[in-house]
Amino acid sequence: MVWRERRGHNTRAGDDARVVDSRGERMQRPDWAPDTIDIERPSVARMYDYYLGGSHNFAADRAAAQAMVAAVPEAPLMAQANRAFLRRAVHHLAEAGIRQFLDIGSGIPTVGNVHEIAQRLDPESRVVYVDVDPVAVAHSREILAGNDRAVVVQEDLRRPEKILTHPDIRKLLDLDQPVAVMIVAVLHFVSDEDRPAELLRTLRDALAPGSYLVLSQASDDGRSQDERAEAERVYRRTDNPLSVRSRAELTALFDGFELLDPGVVWVPQWRPDTPESAEDAERAVFMGGVGRLGG
Amino acid sequence: MRSSWAASGASVAESPEATSCPGTFARAWAKAVSGTSYLPMTQAQLETLLHRLTGQLAGALLAEPFDLRAGYRVGAELVAAHIASAEGLGRTVEVIQLRLIRDLGLVAEDVEDRMARLLAAVATGYARALRDRTLDEQESIRRAAMMARTQAERALRASEARFRHQATHDPLTGLPNRTLFTERLTAALNEPGRGAQRVGVCFIDLDRFKVVNDTLGHQVGDRLLTTVAERLCQTVGERLVARLGGDEFVILVEGSAGTDDMVAVAEAALAAVRTPALVDGHELQVSASIGIVERQVAGANPGDLMRAADSTLHWAKSAGGARWALYDAERNRRELARYALSAAIPAALERGEFYLDYQPLTSLRDGRLIGVEALVRWRHPELGVLRPDSFIGLAEETGLIVQLGGWVLAEACREAEAWSAGGTAAPFVSVNLAVRQVHRPGLVQEVRALLRQTGLPPERLQLEITESTMMSTAKEPVRALRVLADLGVRIAIDDFGTGYCNLAYLRDLPVTELKVAGEFVAGLRSPSVGRTDERILASLVSLAHALDLTVTAEGVETAGQAERLRAIGCDAAQGWHFGRPAPADRILARIR
Repeated sequence: MVWRERRGHNTRAGDDARVVDSRGERMQRPDWAPDTIDIERPSVARMYDYYLGGSHNFAADRAAAQAMVAAVPEAPLMAQANRAFLRRAVHHLAEAGIRQFLDIGSGIPTVGNVHEIAQRLDPESRVVYVDVDPVAVAHSREILAGNDRAVVVQEDLRRPEKILTHPDIRKLLDLDQPVAVMIVAVLHFVSDEDRPAELLRTLRDALAPGSYLVLSQASDDGRSQDERAEAERVYRRTDNPLSVRSRAELTALFDGFELLDPGVVWVPQWRPDTPESAEDAERAVFMGGVGRLGG
Repeated sequence: MRSSWAASGASVAESPEATSCPGTFARAWAKAVSGTSYLPMTQAQLETLLHRLTGQLAGALLAEPFDLRAGYRVGAELVAAHIASAEGLGRTVEVIQLRLIRDLGLVAEDVEDRMARLLAAVATGYARALRDRTLDEQESIRRAAMMARTQAERALRASEARFRHQATHDPLTGLPNRTLFTERLTAALNEPGRGAQRVGVCFIDLDRFKVVNDTLGHQVGDRLLTTVAERLCQTVGERLVARLGGDEFVILVEGSAGTDDMVAVAEAALAAVRTPALVDGHELQVSASIGIVERQVAGANPGDLMRAADSTLHWAKSAGGARWALYDAERNRRELARYALSAAIPAALERGEFYLDYQPLTSLRDGRLIGVEALVRWRHPELGVLRPDSFIGLAEETGLIVQLGGWVLAEACREAEAWSAGGTAAPFVSVNLAVRQVHRPGLVQEVRALLRQTGLPPERLQLEITESTMMSTAKEPVRALRVLADLGVRIAIDDFGTGYCNLAYLRDLPVTELKVAGEFVAGLRSPSVGRTDERILASLVSLAHALDLTVTAEGVETAGQAERLRAIGCDAAQGWHFGRPAPADRILARIR
């Protein structure tokens, strides 16, 4: 159950990007050669926008999102709960003095962006959005035009070293100072073969003490087999297979971080605004938590 | 809260109850719209917002005159605050209709009527704002998709350009590679509209570059190539310099003014290469060879032009390198003809186009025919009868001499065997062996088999080898010749005195005879030069006799020469004076 964009393995920059030169030698096309932009193909970033009530989406996105809702009726609720978790986490970290945010898998930046929340508390706060969806990135760029403390970068969560060394990121963020890294509602697009623990370690090792990790993703605790199968079927069409993870697996991904209370929970249970908003929390499907890098 | 509420509603003060319960209503409203869409605020912030809007609604219901615009504003504000879904509107209408008047205790004459119109205004304002917002968002996402597409296309073009650059340039020197050079040359030849009537290329190859690689390593070699590439570029200015591979470079001169132009370019390139280069602390001085081809654009094609450049480069190389050579169509034609001729040898052998003539070897003591030298002829279907000097040299270069020489040897043995039928002492047959034939393993078996098959006695076969055959240090040929000599085969040294002239091999080789080169004999004609030659000949003869060898003089053309040779003590002679090469039966007729 998935709402933020990440390109699957089977994108065009892979095998069929090989071309043959005039002498018949096979040459590997550079891996930064872009995909074509195909709006006939559902994008998880725009589906997420649709769940949140936005209109930054196309017919194919809406059709896929509606199919998802048919399979999992509370999908919009889940998206909203996750977005609310993001808001509360950013707010909390900003209050705790964090002034640098790295939001990886930021998707279509609709209502309640990280930079809106963070810069409302301190206009000096700096925010970098990272997404792999070129349309989401183009849209973000437009939204961020004129804001010299927020920037968007097209990169893949699965290549953390590329993210960490990206010049735009290096220009805006000082990695010697604490940074909040947000990996919200995107890690379920990273399969175990892509070694999520390893990529989180790479990010962690680049962070200064006092940095934070905000993590949430779809969890299968309490889902029926049928619901899971149906959701996976819907997402297969978007080239984004799902890797749902248990609470224990998610907790393990915070390796090296001290989990803030209340640990890894269903996202509505993470420091709710009101006690009522945490009711029926497991319906939100997403689990998440916030960890602090000690030292 | 209260003050803003009082400020927004003009008639609020008239109803004491009106200020008592807006909080209750706002909470109910907030609860109703929660979850209808994502709201980027806390519940408390939402209640605060809705509390303010509650005041505006209440104010509107009581205001005089009644103003629908308040309803529109509230609808639009809800959308602006992201309470922007169909459900959000439905629940809002429901909660206002059901609770607003009651919760706030609003009292007015036509309040029911006003409520209906106010709700309609809220819904209208809401729908308008939502529609505008939807259209804005659609526009913005389409714009984003378009930008992303433009960017993707730009990136694709850039990557294609980069890819194209990689495909057309040499990664080491950054120079254009063969692909790009060929493209440019083809364009220069196919588009005379570019103003160029003539075109030229300098095909450059470094001399002994391999030595640099082998002795100093490939890294130094690579840096040297890079240095040479840079210098060539500086030297030729706007002209195209390409690296074709290895240590081969080429300069394309479009719009050449003629060969002088090209020679100037080549001279400049040679000078650029010649300047010592400091690479990794080694001062390297290399030279280059250059093949120059310059011709009219009209009628030229890139393949021919580059083949010509390649041949010309080889002329420069074989002339010693460190120089340029200019393409010479006549020389090229001759070489091509020679090449074509040599390539035709195998087929000609199969078709039986070769035959042998024989030239007499005559005893100077008694004038008897003691032997004949087999000379190969080629009855070429187009060129007529060809003498060996027009095809043997190339056959030696290409290695076809082994096949051809083998045929000559076999044919000579076959014919010679038949000559003994006459009864008189039959002459031996003398056959030339090329270097490659002597060095080839299996020579002994080949000769043995031939003698056995033809029945020719070994002592009636003479093998002529040149001095240069023995220049190799290989032991195997000497051993083979010794075995053949032991069989009784005669071994003669051909063209003695003009080649190697190291007499040491005479000690090791089982030689029977020396054939003295014709040029010594030619000297016997004129008295002044002849004196020296005569002395040389006399010494050779006495040397040969001291070693128990016989001497045959070649190229004897006059009776005078023959007489002087006889006087010196020379054993035998060969030449026009004694008989020109002719078919075997004509030679043999003389002894029957």
